[in-house]
Amino acid sequence: MAMAALRREGRRFATPLLSSPIRSSIISHSHEEVANGVRSISTQVVRNRMKSVKNIQKITKAMKMVAASKLRAIQTRTENSRGLWQPFTALLGDAPSVDVKKSVIVTISSDKGLCGGINSTSVKISRVLHKLSSGPEKETKYVILGEKAKAQLLRDSKQDISLSITELQKNPLNYTQNVEFDALKIVFNKFHSVVQFMPTVSTVLSPEIMERESEAGGKLGELDSYEIEGAETKGEVLQNLAEFQFSCILFNGVLENACSEQGARMSAMDSSSRNAGDMLDRLTLTYNRTRQASITTELIEIISGASALEG
Amino acid sequence: MASAGGAAPFWRAAGMTYITYSNICANLVRNCLKEPFKAEAISREKVHFSLSKWVDGKPEKPTVRSEGADH
Repeated sequence: MAMAALRREGRRFATPLLSSPIRSSIISHSHEEVANGVRSISTQVVRNRMKSVKNIQKITKAMKMVAASKLRAIQTRTENSRGLWQPFTALLGDAPSVDVKKSVIVTISSDKGLCGGINSTSVKISRVLHKLSSGPEKETKYVILGEKAKAQLLRDSKQDISLSITELQKNPLNYTQNVEFDALKIVFNKFHSVVQFMPTVSTVLSPEIMERESEAGGKLGELDSYEIEGAETKGEVLQNLAEFQFSCILFNGVLENACSEQGARMSAMDSSSRNAGDMLDRLTLTYNRTRQASITTELIEIISGASALEG
Repeated sequence: MASAGGAAPFWRAAGMTYITYSNICANLVRNCLKEPFKAEAISREKVHFSLSKWVDGKPEKPTVRSEGADH
């Protein structure tokens, strides 16, 4: 390092630095014990921030790995469970716009957070559905699965909640609680791919409505062309079918929502790790600048002291 | 099949839904399995959730249903 270059640099940094060392010495007084007369620009603050950001980055990376592995496990189950309700749609048709008196909206959400925006979209759609299907004699109630939707729907629709179910379910084919309903709309996030989740509404009709629809003709009317064996009447078969359909769709909905939750968590954690990395880069630049500035200040003082001695 | 023509099957008359009926039947079938497969099947049957009914905007005490092999 040539002395001439140093002097040039010293002159460049002299004026702005004369003010900042004083300020940072005031600041550093509050962090560390500074002996009288020693002026040093403190890099402690920046170093602490860097350490915490790095820890956060490690944590979010780990969460992403965990979510990815859970996703793989659930995804196969979900794809298999899709086959459960597809025959129902082929047989009975999907009727999203049937006019019914009492409808229940089942909102499926997650219990844990940090999964991006999927829970808010489910809640938004449930609210829209609620608005759409309320009228003079229509009644809409919510059944909530999962903590996150409960917290959000609690704020404005308290009166309409009839059941809420929380905590993990592994194999919820045991759904024995019956809620009186005419039409049941299940709102969940369907899993298309790792980065894409569509909020979906599936509709399950109660047996009476299905009877009505089948009289009215259309897809459901073709039920009559099926032969029913055994001594059961068509009404009973429809009732069994409706319950089974409900439980299949609910099962599938919960699985798909779980998949979407893990996928959303993966992408959320991934973007937050990347943000943490960016923050770390910026902090490193600031740290280096501060460090170099303090070194230059010391050099300036030494040189000016030396040149003052020389006369 | 029910031999009483037209009458509801006995479980429906007893107030059970079709889902509970099929769950009980599945349970019976699982109990018929032999040893290594039986353990996996029993583990598939476990379910755990906590249910709370809401009355008038207030949740009642939640009941935690953690069902094992005996329902």
